[in-house]
Amino acid sequence: MPTVELIPSASTVLDLGVGPSPLRRLTKRQYENVVRDALGADVPLAESLPDDVAIGGFEGPAGARPNELLVARAQRAAQAAAAFLVSDHARLARVLGCESWTTAEARTGCLERLMAGTASRLVRRPLTVEERQRLLTRAAGWMQELDFEAAVQLTLEALLQSPAMLYRPEPGPSLDAFALASRLSFLLWDSGPDDALFDAAKNGQLVSRAQVRSQAERMVRDPKVTRGMWNFHRQWLGLERLLLDEHAQRTPDVDPAWTPQTQRAAFEESRRFVEWVMETRGTLGALLTNRTALLDAEAARLYRVSSFTPGTPVELDPAERSGILTRVAFLAATSHRGATSPPIRGSATMLRMRCTQVPPPPPGVDTSIPRPDGGARTTRQLVEARTSAPTCIACHHSLNALGFGFEHYDAAGQFRAQEAGVAVDSSFTLEGGELDGTYPSVLELGPRLAASREVQTCTTSMWVHYALGRAPVDAEQGWLDLVTQRFIASNGDVRALLVDLASSPSFLFLGEAP
Amino acid sequence: MNRRQLLTALGLGALYRPSARAQPMTSPTRVVFFVQPHGHVPSGWKMNVPSAPGALVSERSLTGLAESELSDVLRPLFPFRDRLLAIEGLAHTAALEDIAHLRRDGGDANNHNVAVADLLSCARAAQHPGFPCTGGAITIDQLLAQRTVGPGRFGSRVYGGDYIPNQVVAPFSFTGASQPTPVVKSPATAFLDLTGTPLPPADRAARMARARVSMLDSVAEEYTAVSRTLGREARETLEAHRALVRDLELSLTMAPSCTGALDGSLHTARQFMQLIRMAFTCDLTRVMVFAPSPAPCAEFGYPANHDVHANYAHASIDGATSCGQTYTPTAERAMTDFSLWHARHLAFLLSELDAVREGDGTLLDHTVVVWLTELGTPTHRHDDAFTVLVGGANGFFRTGRYLRYAPLFDNPVAGSLVEWPRIGPAHSKLFVSLLRALGQTDSSFGTTSATSSSGESIDLTGGLNELHR
Repeated sequence: MPTVELIPSASTVLDLGVGPSPLRRLTKRQYENVVRDALGADVPLAESLPDDVAIGGFEGPAGARPNELLVARAQRAAQAAAAFLVSDHARLARVLGCESWTTAEARTGCLERLMAGTASRLVRRPLTVEERQRLLTRAAGWMQELDFEAAVQLTLEALLQSPAMLYRPEPGPSLDAFALASRLSFLLWDSGPDDALFDAAKNGQLVSRAQVRSQAERMVRDPKVTRGMWNFHRQWLGLERLLLDEHAQRTPDVDPAWTPQTQRAAFEESRRFVEWVMETRGTLGALLTNRTALLDAEAARLYRVSSFTPGTPVELDPAERSGILTRVAFLAATSHRGATSPPIRGSATMLRMRCTQVPPPPPGVDTSIPRPDGGARTTRQLVEARTSAPTCIACHHSLNALGFGFEHYDAAGQFRAQEAGVAVDSSFTLEGGELDGTYPSVLELGPRLAASREVQTCTTSMWVHYALGRAPVDAEQGWLDLVTQRFIASNGDVRALLVDLASSPSFLFLGEAP
Repeated sequence: MNRRQLLTALGLGALYRPSARAQPMTSPTRVVFFVQPHGHVPSGWKMNVPSAPGALVSERSLTGLAESELSDVLRPLFPFRDRLLAIEGLAHTAALEDIAHLRRDGGDANNHNVAVADLLSCARAAQHPGFPCTGGAITIDQLLAQRTVGPGRFGSRVYGGDYIPNQVVAPFSFTGASQPTPVVKSPATAFLDLTGTPLPPADRAARMARARVSMLDSVAEEYTAVSRTLGREARETLEAHRALVRDLELSLTMAPSCTGALDGSLHTARQFMQLIRMAFTCDLTRVMVFAPSPAPCAEFGYPANHDVHANYAHASIDGATSCGQTYTPTAERAMTDFSLWHARHLAFLLSELDAVREGDGTLLDHTVVVWLTELGTPTHRHDDAFTVLVGGANGFFRTGRYLRYAPLFDNPVAGSLVEWPRIGPAHSKLFVSLLRALGQTDSSFGTTSATSSSGESIDLTGGLNELHR
């Protein structure tokens, strides 16, 4: 991994530009990961926080405000989790970090251990003296009114709803080591710091840029990085769209066997692929070209693979598949129930790979693809006919071209040689850019996308947006360009990009709180 | 029937405890926003209204009409026609003003994205370069929620499903710019939100409580059994005692704030409607939003593999111009039937609310349901935002009428008059009227002025006084 220092000294940091740092709230996933990591994987979280909505691209945007339901759910989730933990001696012992609380002295000691251990893991930093004292005073009162278990239960409920738990407060004037540790762990693991990172922060070993890079390099090799990798990719590539109700069905002519289970299986296959490819290859190129799949029976049916072992990678047919854009999850999520939609597939590819938003169709445009009344006509022919008007073709030229490249995949993402008895024509020509050329199908596009500076730049900006919870600002363009150049120079090494992001000025320093 | 008998009959007897929240002397006004996606087909919605030439507002009484005289879409609301106010000719002026700006200055000008972002906010949408726009200000439901929240009463809840006009899920309700209000998508979860979490089985207090519930259940049965053997007065005495035991039983199984049951056998939409009734009955909130996902076509008589957006919406208006537009009478009828799906579920909500006696009338007499859609027509027009107010709203609105507003202004968006016709009053003015119905004194909501394509200033302040008493 390259180790060239991006920022030789703090004085140049200002020149490179630090963007604003609005307060961030934990997403539902982050909340659940923190709870599981700090309190145990068995804590019930069935209905924890409300579902997040991706606003401006990604869930958990910086500056998200609380709402009534969030507060109500946080209370309920806290109550349920705390009741679960105190209801069993072994679990309570685990949370407290002590085995016995039969004497008054032991109970006091256990509460102290709770503050130093589980409590600080929940809030991702040591409690302040005042915080600790307030909680202990409350707990003493609850012990008197009820009993020790009730006091622990209520203390946990209070902690789980505290601002230090639900938010990531970063008090100024400069970023402290624990806040920085949280930035690292939420970016890379979608959760709080582990012991090693926490200890590094505590022991003053997270103060130089080299130390931060060293921690980040350790963390991108930790299995927990799959959480961060998947969380980014499912949103960036719109894979989660597959789970929407509209994709629970496919028309019988497309796939009579498609059920909600198929929908879930295809989604899970894309998750396993992203996790596997990032773990074993770790590059944008592999994401866009690799043919390895980890199948279950339903995914194997979709890919027409007759022999597989769950958990064991298989190679998909090179004549049919190449990378994430040719996997069922992406292909079906960008289709209608009964037909493919080349413009939607083209538009999704433009948006995700090239960061280009094609202008919307004029009002009133019929974007559906009706079946022909007579004669065998392919989707491609129908779309070409429909969008041939001069007002349409200006924008549709590029959308259609990219979309037609996917026509070998039907609305269920299954490979097809023919449509309506006619051989599929998935050839297309791109003009006016780095990806210029004529392609037999999207299979040949994958390697070109992976090598494209435009796509690598777009990917970098998506990661930056994800990491910061906001769009980059002009002041950040300097280091953003450097990070992008390094990503390109590394041949799309995603882990190296993450280490660069984690040690970029806007990550290492506290920007203005807007 | 007194209040306690009534509540008991509704399964809400636990409310009649000394500790229960007291009903105010005057019943509060409640609001439900019922948001239908994709607009209405005018031919299915509109009614004939005799109007004098040049009149800005025309109206027709609904109270004396036969059921068959209502339009197709409004017909399911016939039983509530005395409390119905159907409004034709409002415009999504704030959205049009936004689109006009976006066409000049750039941004996500997708007509449908802007429509969803602006429907309840009536303000410029928040722009996110490279991504779809979102609500740019607090929405009317959340403003009303802020104004009506109180001790033991939350501001609002938003129920419904995902709506994806273009690629990305787009919510309707926002607490501020780009701050979506979370949507509760499962009635069972919504029910837990209202009633609290039952204690987990391992909890010792819960074990005791459950034992106490079954103990009280058997006690109640004893009262019933014995009362059958007695004369009228003694029986009434024992029945009242039994009801108190049942109340106690319910209060042990539920969180103390509200009780009731969720009928999981009902359609999801109707389960949410029962929850709205329950929340209002207990005065847990006064503002609710229900914005269902587009209904599956099979639910309104069309092939299961079709969907409203892909198969019907854009082909539903005869004469609408756009490239590739293929009007079909089937699509027109399908969109009317889609609206009817909403009307029939709405009628269920209305009967739920009307079945609850409260103060001087029913819960429906103290509620106004606002049935809105983000588009005027399914082909993305904003000049005719068909709107229904239904419910007594404590007498604030003059109901039992069908009202038509005539176009007043040129469209803020310049272009062909077919796509961008002249427009009537802004629907944001309706929200000012709603604020007044809830005792607020705001003089405007959202964008306060717009400019027509001919340069005329359009004042968006003030309410729609024709609707009020």
